[in-house]
Amino acid sequence: MTSIPQANGSRAPGRRQIPWQALVDATMLLLWGLMLLRFTVTGKLYLLLHPDYMWLAYLAMVLLLALGIARLLQVWSSYRQRGVPAPRSQEHLALLPRQLSSVLLIAIAVFGLIYTPRPFASETAFQRGITDVLGQTRSRPQRFSLGGDSETRTIVDWVRTLNVYPEPDAYAGQGAAVSGFVTHIPDWPDNFIMISRFVLTCCAADAYPVGLPVELPAGTPRPVPDTWLDIKGTMQTITLDGKRQLAIGSATLTEIPEPRTPYEY
Amino acid sequence: MTQLNNGITLFFSLLVEAMPFLLLGVIFSSVLLLFVDEQKLLAIIPKNVVLAALAGSLIGFLFPVCECGNIPVARRLLTKGAPTAVAIGFLLAAPTVNPVVFWATWIAFRDQPEIVFLRVGFTLIVAITIALIFSAQADLRPFLQDNLTRMMGEPEPVAATPSEPEISPLLKSGTFLMQSPGQVLQLDAPPAQVLAQVAVAPPPLIHRLRLMVDNMVLELRELGAVLVIGSAIAAFVQVAVPREVILGLGEGPVSSIVAMMALAWVVSICSTVDSFFALSFASTFTSGALLAFLVFGPMIDLKNISLLLTVFKGRAIIYLFVLAAQLTFLLTLVMNLYTG
Repeated sequence: MTSIPQANGSRAPGRRQIPWQALVDATMLLLWGLMLLRFTVTGKLYLLLHPDYMWLAYLAMVLLLALGIARLLQVWSSYRQRGVPAPRSQEHLALLPRQLSSVLLIAIAVFGLIYTPRPFASETAFQRGITDVLGQTRSRPQRFSLGGDSETRTIVDWVRTLNVYPEPDAYAGQGAAVSGFVTHIPDWPDNFIMISRFVLTCCAADAYPVGLPVELPAGTPRPVPDTWLDIKGTMQTITLDGKRQLAIGSATLTEIPEPRTPYEY
Repeated sequence: MTQLNNGITLFFSLLVEAMPFLLLGVIFSSVLLLFVDEQKLLAIIPKNVVLAALAGSLIGFLFPVCECGNIPVARRLLTKGAPTAVAIGFLLAAPTVNPVVFWATWIAFRDQPEIVFLRVGFTLIVAITIALIFSAQADLRPFLQDNLTRMMGEPEPVAATPSEPEISPLLKSGTFLMQSPGQVLQLDAPPAQVLAQVAVAPPPLIHRLRLMVDNMVLELRELGAVLVIGSAIAAFVQVAVPREVILGLGEGPVSSIVAMMALAWVVSICSTVDSFFALSFASTFTSGALLAFLVFGPMIDLKNISLLLTVFKGRAIIYLFVLAAQLTFLLTLVMNLYTG
């Protein structure tokens, strides 16, 4: 078998040298794998990805960790056996200098290991156009019926149902039990809030907000934006902003902690 | 502060979503490098430029990668001496014309099968046209990054003049080792090329696997860093420019297409998952606009421009961008005007 000649003449045969580049590469791979592992273990992956695509992130995590370990083993075996060239990956093809790439990737992985992603909140909901209450939703309902237990519908279920059959009177009197975070819509009177959720189709980059108006019972203080609430009430038709629409009336509000999966799908 | 947090969350979300696909692309590229005999692959490719462009566009069926994954493969094809038409056709079409993306689009648009098929059709038309335009340039080198052209070695007499007397390889720049008479070994060539030249008999599997790991680590480091920068820019633009600004551009047959192309460019979503994203606009936008999003986005977006820069010089990317944008616009506009 022909051995591969050393392009790098500085590596004298028989002299042990610490293969820094290979070690840095291994560190980078392991840190990225660990970052994904951390997101998985802490459940923060739910803030970033749709559950349907999480297996891809798991796959990446396993591959990155395996590659990192393989790299370390290579370094170790070449360090023990003299004469075996240390693993190296040095094509001169980079847009960025090699050191810069390594530093950038390691820095991002370390940042990802420290930083805790936050779910989107009311301010973003407002920026992304929650005012369009019955905004488009991504998937159409497979089945549409006015029957069934209306209290099992989530916010996005309600919005999808309304998209198919928008007449609010059809739902008046049905019970509603939803949870979400509070958004204040500037033009609305003080006794109305929007209970809202973000909906993901693949990742946080395409999250869009949906919401239902809630009429607060007289004397209830207006909850601050971003408070997570369980809301039970009865559907009613109201006129808000000159638009006839469905709202949750005679509501009871219970404050809840932010759920582990703050998005709906 | 909220904006910053949102930006960072978006940034990680894009990274976590794109990283598996980048990994897949790097794996495919490394397999191509070491386990596929480029001479055989290139020998199958038809000599006719149009057919070559078509063949290049269809290679995606062998390498189901999205736009983060196709660049390492395209780069590899170029360094292995693939004709321009093949490489460009692959680069533009592969992210869309492949089984994974076809499947994803089908899931999303089952109700509108015409979108699924037109997506593939339009992508092929645009990719082949641009591949032909670039083939008019006999030598692609001036468009490529210097370090890539160095790797490609001297221009291969691609199909045209195979019998031309060979210039001594020693007249090239680089570090060489004299082998048997008339044969030299370029030392600063990438490991696999060296390997391919040295080893008459195929090297043992363990050796090739080892080189594969080397190559994967190398490409991950390079393209990973670039992906980080691209995702950061895309996240920043998404946070800084409200989505309404783009969507508010209008819903007419022309403006909706422009708006969706701009959105595709900004959002930089992976082609394997972008159909789900497009679905959200299915009710508000024209079919032509949706197609523009689905065809144009995978070809060139904000994120992969930084990846493209590892292959092409800025000027070539501008040509690619302008041509792809115009062709997509024309095709989808015709569709909008005909189908109303």
